[in-house]
Amino acid sequence: MLWLKTLGVVLVVSGFGSYGLMGARSMDQRVEQIKNIRLAMRFLEKEIAYLHTPLPLAMARAAQCIPAPASSLFEDCSQKLQDRQGITLNEAWSQSLEKIRKKSELNNGDITVLQSVASQMGMSGADEQKKLFAMIQEHLHIQEDKARQEAESGRKLRSYGGFILGATVVLLLL
Amino acid sequence: MTMRDEEIIKKDIIPFLSGRIKETMLKMPLECFKGMEEIRLRFGQPLALKIGDKDYSLDAFGRMQEDLSRGYIVCADDIYRSIAAISDNSLYAFEEEISRGFITIPGGHRVGLAGQIVLGGSEIQTIKDFSGIAFRITREVKDCSLTIMASIYPRDLEPVNTLFISPPRCGKTTILRDVARNLSYGTSKRRGCNVTVIDERSELAGTYQGRSQMDLGPRTDVLDSCPKAKGMIMAIRSLAPHVLITDEIGRYEDIEAIQECVNAGVAVITSVHARNIEEVQKRPVLRELLAAAAFENLIVLSRRCGPGTIENIVRWDELCCG
Repeated sequence: MLWLKTLGVVLVVSGFGSYGLMGARSMDQRVEQIKNIRLAMRFLEKEIAYLHTPLPLAMARAAQCIPAPASSLFEDCSQKLQDRQGITLNEAWSQSLEKIRKKSELNNGDITVLQSVASQMGMSGADEQKKLFAMIQEHLHIQEDKARQEAESGRKLRSYGGFILGATVVLLLL
Repeated sequence: MTMRDEEIIKKDIIPFLSGRIKETMLKMPLECFKGMEEIRLRFGQPLALKIGDKDYSLDAFGRMQEDLSRGYIVCADDIYRSIAAISDNSLYAFEEEISRGFITIPGGHRVGLAGQIVLGGSEIQTIKDFSGIAFRITREVKDCSLTIMASIYPRDLEPVNTLFISPPRCGKTTILRDVARNLSYGTSKRRGCNVTVIDERSELAGTYQGRSQMDLGPRTDVLDSCPKAKGMIMAIRSLAPHVLITDEIGRYEDIEAIQECVNAGVAVITSVHARNIEEVQKRPVLRELLAAAAFENLIVLSRRCGPGTIENIVRWDELCCG
């Protein structure tokens, strides 16, 4: 009977502990993903402002500069635009953001910031586009700093918290 | 011809229209595509189709309406979507073209733009808040110039200076394009010439992303979006052409450049907006050019029997000797 109790204790503590560790990891991943999107946006800005590359191609190139899942935002949007089904960038970008929301750690605030550029992206001259991208860089920096601060303060809490919560549950059960 | 026109419009133009207009146009009977020259979208106004000399509109069922007020009313979203499609959602990539008032799309068709003009100093910088779009359907009519080639190219490697005189929409650009092609290919009797096309408004070659969309022959070089006067001088110096072809001359610097070319032994084939020779002679700049015997041939075009009707071919020596 003792071995069964011991197994139960181990399972409960490790279950809660893993959940906590996953939470901590997701916070770190969010920082990384925002950073990757920010870098891709910077790449996109250069393609637009200096090379005047059309957005479908510029986005495909930007996607190659960063790892998944952040790259899928640009890849998916580029594909939708290249299909030429009468879709505007605003619509393609919104649909791609919905997709990435499900497979990334980005929160609503991050998605709102990225959505804010959709109506303007591509639809003005190069100088105006530079201003737009400078603005989005600032917004993404702020989101990244916030995410980093949250990760720093929350990482230990979640990592240890999971195990502590697991241990508390065990004590209560015993 | 009907099939050809339908194919051109369905392949090259309809993909750039908004979903609602696209659906409406795809319901149109096939014979309505024949001879379509323009599709115009104006904010708050009926969709307008120019077929021959008449304007029509389309109702929601794709039926042609002579009474424009019964046609589909174009909304802001239709214009926004068409602009997005034409520019590949990348207006910044077409700044140069937009500042000139049009964008060329694949197939060489020209899309004219209307909206609020933004000035940078005294120059037009761009257009914003688009309110109108005019799709002008370009067609290659191969060999439409065959009947006049004997006048333009009477001797081997010696095409003669020729001026096409034509009011707008009489097919002068189509004929000039075909002349370029025929000179470039040559015939069994006459060798192909090196031709340089100075295409200031991307109409003759229909250049899209640096590539000519029209068949201008194997010996043709195109200076796209190049001011005519500068292009003519540049071509003489760098491309060794036998013939220079350009469209719609009229400025003083164009005339100077033509005289330079003629003196350099390069044939110039060009066009001017006018209804007849008398109208050309009323314009001081052109009168000077005619008086200097710069052009051996003057060819007058009209729409009397459809675009590209040759009204008259006048040799300069006949003109000055009465």
